[in-house]
Amino acid sequence: MSDFFLNLSGNPAAKKLITKLGLPVPMPPILKRAKGPWEDRPVNDLPVIVCHGKGGALASVMAGTLISAGAEIWLAGENQPAEVYAGLGEAWSRKPIALPESGCPESLRPHGLVFDATGFETADDMKIAYRFFHSCIRQLRSCGRIIVITRPPSAISSAGEAAAARGLQGFTRSMGREVGKKGSTANLITVDADADERLEAVLRFFLSTRSAYISGQPIHVSSAVPSPSAKPLFTKPLEGKIALVTGAARGIGAETAAAMAREGAKVIVMDLPKDEEALKQLAARLGGVPLMCDITAPDAPDAVCNLVAEKFGGLDIAIHNAGITRDKTLGKMDDKLWDQALGVNLLSVIRVNEKLIGQIREGGRIVCLSSIAGIAGNFGQTNYSASKAGIIGYVQALSKELAPKGITVNAMAPGFIETRLTAAIPLMTREVARRLCNLSQGGLPSDVAETAVYLSSPGAVGHTGQILRVCGGSFVGA
Amino acid sequence: MDNATNGRGNSRAVIIGGVRTPFLRAFGDFMLMDTIALGAANVQKLLEKFPIDKKEINGVVWGGVILPGQSANIGREITLDSGLPREVEATTVTRACTSGMKAIAMAVEAIERGDADVMIAGGSDSTSNAEVKMPQSFVHKTAPVTMSSKSGPMDYLKLAARMKIRKDLMPQRPSVRERSTKELMGESAEKMAGRNGITREAQDALALQSHQRAAESIRNGRLAQEVCSVVNTKGKVVSADNLVRADTSLEKLAKLKPAFKKGGTLTAGNSSPLTDGSAAVLLMSREKAKALGLAPLAEFRSWSFDAVDPWDQMLMGPAFSIPRALKKAGMTLKDIGVIDIHEAFAAQVLSILKMLGNDKFAQERLGLSKAVGEILPEQINIHGGSIALGHPFGATGARMVITMANELKLSGKESAVMAICGAGGVSVGAIIVAAS
Repeated sequence: MSDFFLNLSGNPAAKKLITKLGLPVPMPPILKRAKGPWEDRPVNDLPVIVCHGKGGALASVMAGTLISAGAEIWLAGENQPAEVYAGLGEAWSRKPIALPESGCPESLRPHGLVFDATGFETADDMKIAYRFFHSCIRQLRSCGRIIVITRPPSAISSAGEAAAARGLQGFTRSMGREVGKKGSTANLITVDADADERLEAVLRFFLSTRSAYISGQPIHVSSAVPSPSAKPLFTKPLEGKIALVTGAARGIGAETAAAMAREGAKVIVMDLPKDEEALKQLAARLGGVPLMCDITAPDAPDAVCNLVAEKFGGLDIAIHNAGITRDKTLGKMDDKLWDQALGVNLLSVIRVNEKLIGQIREGGRIVCLSSIAGIAGNFGQTNYSASKAGIIGYVQALSKELAPKGITVNAMAPGFIETRLTAAIPLMTREVARRLCNLSQGGLPSDVAETAVYLSSPGAVGHTGQILRVCGGSFVGA
Repeated sequence: MDNATNGRGNSRAVIIGGVRTPFLRAFGDFMLMDTIALGAANVQKLLEKFPIDKKEINGVVWGGVILPGQSANIGREITLDSGLPREVEATTVTRACTSGMKAIAMAVEAIERGDADVMIAGGSDSTSNAEVKMPQSFVHKTAPVTMSSKSGPMDYLKLAARMKIRKDLMPQRPSVRERSTKELMGESAEKMAGRNGITREAQDALALQSHQRAAESIRNGRLAQEVCSVVNTKGKVVSADNLVRADTSLEKLAKLKPAFKKGGTLTAGNSSPLTDGSAAVLLMSREKAKALGLAPLAEFRSWSFDAVDPWDQMLMGPAFSIPRALKKAGMTLKDIGVIDIHEAFAAQVLSILKMLGNDKFAQERLGLSKAVGEILPEQINIHGGSIALGHPFGATGARMVITMANELKLSGKESAVMAICGAGGVSVGAIIVAAS
């Protein structure tokens, strides 16, 4: 399961030798990943260069976020809303520093580059973004973060404005390809004009090391789901929440359940009866409740709902993680393989939700597991792709239905994640699959788990109906 | 004494007075005196200065930061070594640089709760005697063998074979890094200088002020009444502080290299030095003082012990503790006659002053409508501070109480506020008023 080249890259002597000899050996960067629970200040004392391209519509929310997240703020470019930053930062001794006109000083190695492009009016305005990133992208430290913020193209009236918004998507994706070799990521956030306040949680997550394996993604922040007036919690975000994680006995499921519990949730860990031992141990460790049940069994929806009703009187978070592969090329695939894959990955999710949704409380979160294969398709995985693409359609439709109830519905689409499932892939295929992304390595179950926690947190109310890829900026799938 | 009034005290504690040893640069004339020896010598001198019947003393509360591993309750050792009756109880307090102040506060509490009538409180530290420690893996490997009566020569040979030189046998340097943040305190202060825009020039100016004022107060005898002479292990009589530089200047300070960061602003000149020393205070209930015919100098009006997030601005605590102590006392900064702020680093003091004068800080961090008050650097530390005098961690709180209590008596001023920041983000602000 371990990645030989990643281990090699982690050995300074070997890395130096290989680089010196110019050997054609992949040297994937060692990614920084947060350990432990959400921090009050995820970017404490880390330098972040901010540029408001045109106008400062987002100045106060960005300033407030970066200051409370502990960033050392540098403002780049002319006409920056420095007074907004200075006013908000004063009490915390976090005043913005003006970046010299000559550009990024040699000694400054920023952790983050954040560009606000919401004021862009024409395609020509992209030149401002080019200038900003051109001047400082080479200074970005390893495992750094690039974030570009625009209005969504759909919400824009003029064609020129739309061209700029969409253009920045291509621009950001390409930056992701370039900075990936140093472990850095680049993502585009599109934010509805009435959802600006919701950026805080989004920026915190995408600037932190918890988003280590998400790159090249467009992420939408909307006001579709009403949010409670209270400011979301940024430490122990899931305190007091009841969460269900299916397929929790091992791998991504177990990791997700643990991350949920770490952030304060009471977790119901569900898996097959044959995994009773592992499940009980996990539940004991997390202070959760085990539920031994085959999710495809006819009585599974009742079993889940009864447990939720009896023990907790309601549910806040449902993570539909249970999944299987039954690979065969289509001509050779028999009914059983088709039925099993569809049954676990899609049909049971729909069946369980039909019953369960009535028990999900206001402010609830549903997260389903899709896959890159569901987006791009994959050889020998017609059944799997159908089920995982089905999840996408399902999530998009269900999110609209549940939005008025304050419940968000999202999917995560993992790329190549180092699990039991991917360890079974033949060596050469596996080796190639790992490298086909910006970060040229597989992700870890914890990368998916951290994303699940994020999408389940109160602050993520701006996301619904989204398919968030956790793929390291995979080369496949649009 | 019998604790007949335990928990039902309605007395006030008063400060009778205090005395401290000279503060010396580490590894100087006090090198061979550990913190216990310094404390014991100090307590003896305190009782020479205030010759009360030793039987009147109920207890000792002692502050210390670098504690000897074999006898961590140094308060008790000092009690025994200083010739107090062996029945006098003693407690040791450790709360970083606020240890001495906490010790005094606990003694005051004991008196005001009715547990005690007469207490000695203070603190000491010998940075010259920080202990070098064997790795814990050495202990874990050797203890089972050495502590077992069944161990034979072969067991010891096997043990020796299992020892790894670097991992098990290399002694660990005493760690000066914060356990939590892994930062040197100077690095934390350097960050504060950056975030609060404190210049090198402003820091050097405060350092110069500290040295000049301390030197003047030593020259004119003002501080001499607070310092006792101590005979060290070699028989040398040490009677004066040796860290104060009367002849320093801005030019000299400006020449020093940054100590904690390349291109930084903190230097050895504008930071407090490693110091050996001790300070002790005599406290009593008002009634007892009257009965013994002693004139009190001052009494505590309020204090606030606090902590801030050490990963943020570790030494910012006094900016919270001062306003909280003021609030508890029902006072504002205008009511305060003298201000004494511990100078761990000039950068830290100036950062605190800046925040105390900031409206936004008051509104968002303290819940006040406007700033606590504008304080100029010239208005604080009238007899110099820790940068010039030195900073034996546990002793500093008691040193400040002694100087301020005397100041109220001598100047006729009504009140003084003192504040100290400490490792781990702890802090204290305390207000004393002239004895009525």
